Amino acid sequence: MESLLILALALELRRRRKQSAREIQQLRQEMAHISRVTTLSGLAGSLSHDLKQPLTAICSNVQAARRFLAAEPPFLGEVCEILASIEQDGERAGEMIERVRGLLKKGEWKPELLSFNDIVQDVVHLLRGHVVARGASLRIEAAPDLPRVSGDRAQLLQVLLNLALNAVEAMAGNPAGARHLVLATRRAGPGCAEAIVRDSGRGIAPAEIERIFEPFYTTKREGLGIGLSITRSIVKAHGGAVWAENHPEGGAAFHVVLPVLGDGHPGGT
Amino acid sequence: MKDAEPVVFVVDDEPCVRLALQRLLKSAGHGVETFGSAAELLACGAAERPGCLLLDLQMPGVNGLELQQALRAEGASLPVVFLSGKADVSTAAQAMKAGALDFLTKPVNDRELLAAVGLACELSVKAQRERTELQELRQRLAQLTCRELEVFSLVATGLRNKQIAGALGTVEKTVKVHRAHVMEKMQAGSLADLVRFADRLSLSAVTERGHDPDRAGSPSWHDGQA
Repeated sequence: MESLLILALALELRRRRKQSAREIQQLRQEMAHISRVTTLSGLAGSLSHDLKQPLTAICSNVQAARRFLAAEPPFLGEVCEILASIEQDGERAGEMIERVRGLLKKGEWKPELLSFNDIVQDVVHLLRGHVVARGASLRIEAAPDLPRVSGDRAQLLQVLLNLALNAVEAMAGNPAGARHLVLATRRAGPGCAEAIVRDSGRGIAPAEIERIFEPFYTTKREGLGIGLSITRSIVKAHGGAVWAENHPEGGAAFHVVLPVLGDGHPGGT
Repeated sequence: MKDAEPVVFVVDDEPCVRLALQRLLKSAGHGVETFGSAAELLACGAAERPGCLLLDLQMPGVNGLELQQALRAEGASLPVVFLSGKADVSTAAQAMKAGALDFLTKPVNDRELLAAVGLACELSVKAQRERTELQELRQRLAQLTCRELEVFSLVATGLRNKQIAGALGTVEKTVKVHRAHVMEKMQAGSLADLVRFADRLSLSAVTERGHDPDRAGSPSWHDGQA
């Protein structure tokens, strides 16, 4: 009888532990989502500026086409070219919106085969306007034939986006023309792919270089300080590692290393 | 002298926008040249030609406002119309204070854009015409002898020939001869023309002998043609 009770108790405890683990996982995903939404709302200004470009082109193209059609005789050749441009610009605008939507989606972990290079491209598209508005320059150093990793696209995008945004902010104090952001990818030893986000800011005080990943740790006046801790938890959940170091040429560099497919066990806990 | 056709110089780092604006301006009959960056514009010597600038504000490297400042530093006087996807008040105020003709936002209303560009080109052509005229006048002025120059400046202040003769220590007849030469060389059809030319050329009216003509009796403006 006693042993039955003990068994029942053990089963109950295991059930509860599993439930807690699921709840924790769910909470983590909620936090990650909130963090993404916050990041995106910070980018709203530059993203809407970017979206205005193809829309402006479409409007002005249409207005030009009207005038060309009203001419005697109408400039039909020009109008045809204009229509082709409008289609192209419309598609571009659609892609921009899709990118944002992809980042906003709330959902289950959806692992797929990814290359860091693709994610870097997504970051560039999302951040280009923001980088220009902040007077910084952006350079990509992408390794060719980078091995793929398995991961959730939105979450990995969030990781690199977060690091890149932090980098831009770290350089805010630099004089104009001295704000250089570099996104690099490379193989990191056997079985690993690495992404590096480097800035030309002041660097990180050695005492803080580990602390910055702690939850609610921030040196900024505004901000909760959860960005980097969420970044680390996402990377860890992917079976990888993220750390910061000061670059010998000045500025900080954040490294994200993930196991290449087949190595390690990415996935939720 | 035929005015050179004004050209709209469009500077925007976004290719699709550049192309669309070029088409719109062309469809309204404007000459257009497009540039992807401030550097490209500065390299092409647009400062010398009549026309206007249609500038994007937010560009990598040198942005629209900085380009405007660089051009003013070079002495370029092309009117500037800004076209921006970002429309905060402080940037707009900054641009207008720096002498921009207008500040429009994207996506842009074609009527507003064409009105602003049209006005800008008109102003530029007018300014170019005045510059050319001034150059012409300076060339004509260079043809005058010293004496003729003196007579010119005194005539322009409204002095009668007799008074001029007194001021220069010569006789009225001589002054009349010089005056006729001045009218001819400066291609002036009337006293009023001469006065206008003198004004444009900023001629000062102090003579060689240091005699201030303002003290030589009251200048009678109404002699000669008004």
